[in-house]
Amino acid sequence: MLELRSVMVDIAGAPVLRGVSMTLPPGGRVALIGRNGAGKTTTLRALMGLLALRGGRVLIGGEDATSVPAHHRPRLGIGYAPEERRLFGQFSVRQNLLLPVEVLGLPRTEIARRLEAVFTFLPELATLADRRAAGLSGGQGKMVALGRALMVGTRAVLLDEPFQGLAPALALRYAEALRGLHASFPDVALLVTESNPQLLTPLVDSTYVIERGEIAHDTALGAPA
Amino acid sequence: MGDWLEQNGALLGLALLDGIASAALIFMVAVGLNLVFGVLRVLNVAHGSLFAIGAYAAASIGLFAASAGLPGWASLLALLLAAMLVGLVLGPLIEQLLLRRVYGEEPVLQLLVTFALFMILEDAQKLVWGVQPVSFSVPVSLMGTVDVPFGTDVIPYNTYQVVLLPAVAVVTLVGLALFLRRTLTGRVILAVTTDREAATAMGIDARRVYLLTFTFGAMLAALGGALSTPTASLVPGIGASTIVLSFAVVATAGLGQIEGAALTALMIGIGRSVAVTFAPELEVVVPYIIMVAVLLVRPQGLFGVVETRRV
Ligand SMILES: Nc1ncnc2c1ncn2[C@@H]1O[C@H](COP(=O)(O)OP(=O)(O)OP(=O)(O)O)[C@@H](O)[C@H]1O
Ligand SMILES: [Mg+2]
Repeated sequence: MLELRSVMVDIAGAPVLRGVSMTLPPGGRVALIGRNGAGKTTTLRALMGLLALRGGRVLIGGEDATSVPAHHRPRLGIGYAPEERRLFGQFSVRQNLLLPVEVLGLPRTEIARRLEAVFTFLPELATLADRRAAGLSGGQGKMVALGRALMVGTRAVLLDEPFQGLAPALALRYAEALRGLHASFPDVALLVTESNPQLLTPLVDSTYVIERGEIAHDTALGAPA
Repeated sequence: MGDWLEQNGALLGLALLDGIASAALIFMVAVGLNLVFGVLRVLNVAHGSLFAIGAYAAASIGLFAASAGLPGWASLLALLLAAMLVGLVLGPLIEQLLLRRVYGEEPVLQLLVTFALFMILEDAQKLVWGVQPVSFSVPVSLMGTVDVPFGTDVIPYNTYQVVLLPAVAVVTLVGLALFLRRTLTGRVILAVTTDREAATAMGIDARRVYLLTFTFGAMLAALGGALSTPTASLVPGIGASTIVLSFAVVATAGLGQIEGAALTALMIGIGRSVAVTFAPELEVVVPYIIMVAVLLVRPQGLFGVVETRRV
């Protein structure tokens, strides 16, 4: 579904990704593990087209998407929950969820169907729907960010360190949601980043480890994790 | 105080009405400047030139309409037409040819570029309209005067300034607030203002939003200028004084504040006209005294919110 081939990215003149290759198969569940500063966020931003590549290619659905502008990537069915949630604080939760699908210009019935599916999957969002996003707690915000990614992410969702800063009870709830993702959205591939390898292992099929901008291990290829 | 009021009541009333009329115009310019800065993150020094060119264009189109024998009410349409034309032509031209190249650059560079643009437009305006005063006051005579009661006095004032200008400002204020909150395009603009990258990741084409917002802001500045035409005689330099005043309004209100900009425009407009009446030597500094006094107490502006943690 998503593939990076030898992707190189420089930020502020310094190499941050140094030939990253990874594959997220359709409906697959993949973890990208790395310490602080290893390049996880940069990898996801590269997938979303949010920064320029110095080399390499991005494939979406098997097709070269390297030059597809960032704002067209949600149209290809990719949902993204950035680090730090990045909700629009002055909008309600519902407006946050609807924004990407309204921008896509989807028909009303399709929008309603997707919102319904997200509310069924994350029932807490239905109760928060009319709250202003600025007033949410950290954990509630993470749930909304996940829901928002699922509104457009019909083929893949990319979650950047969703567990970071979550209180243990909320982290359990979030992990439970992720475990149920495959059952509720079987076609949606999941790419999730984390710095703690233990946390995600039970939730995914394969794991990539990134170190200083390079893939160090990858269980997808059967290397030792 | 009572005695003073009795003697100067009519003068004070007149100053208040002057202030309201000029506040309406300052607001139109400041709100566009604010919107453009919020979205593009470029402080456009040439925003005042769009005001000036809107004003001159309104005079030319209005004078042409009058010489063509069109009825008086057409003069009002001429003002509107001038604003639309200037905004729709110069807005996209400036954004595409110039601003597009400096997005994300150092603020100093952006300021220099828009300042250069200001100089160019100032010269272009002198080239087209010359340096002799230009005036076109048909809309004012068309609309006559109203008697405004003020305490025991009745002040006759021209309807154009005391009714039409505030009405246009209020419609702009309410219309803009509703547009931003109630329509998808409005929410898209707010989303880009809040967090450009997150908005892009939601499928928003930020570049298109920049173009749209800049054109709209240019139209508001030109409308402010066009509306100022009937009560002012146009001379070189109106662009500069306008941009300085609207900077003061935006800084005092706080960035991104639309309702706040309206109240601040009133404060500064009235403050200035009261100064003109009672202490003319202070006219020029009053807006900045207000601005500095506010910023000393509230550096984020009267209505600005301290940048909150991203949610
Ligand atoms: N805007 C920037 N300017 C300079 N360097 C940057 C910038 N963004 C990232 N980097 C550098 O790029 C490297 C990778 O950063 P990235 O954010 O991708 O790491 P990460 O794995 O997501 O880390 P974390 O766990 O802290 O989120 C880091 O060394 C970081 O210092
Ligand atoms: Mg990160």
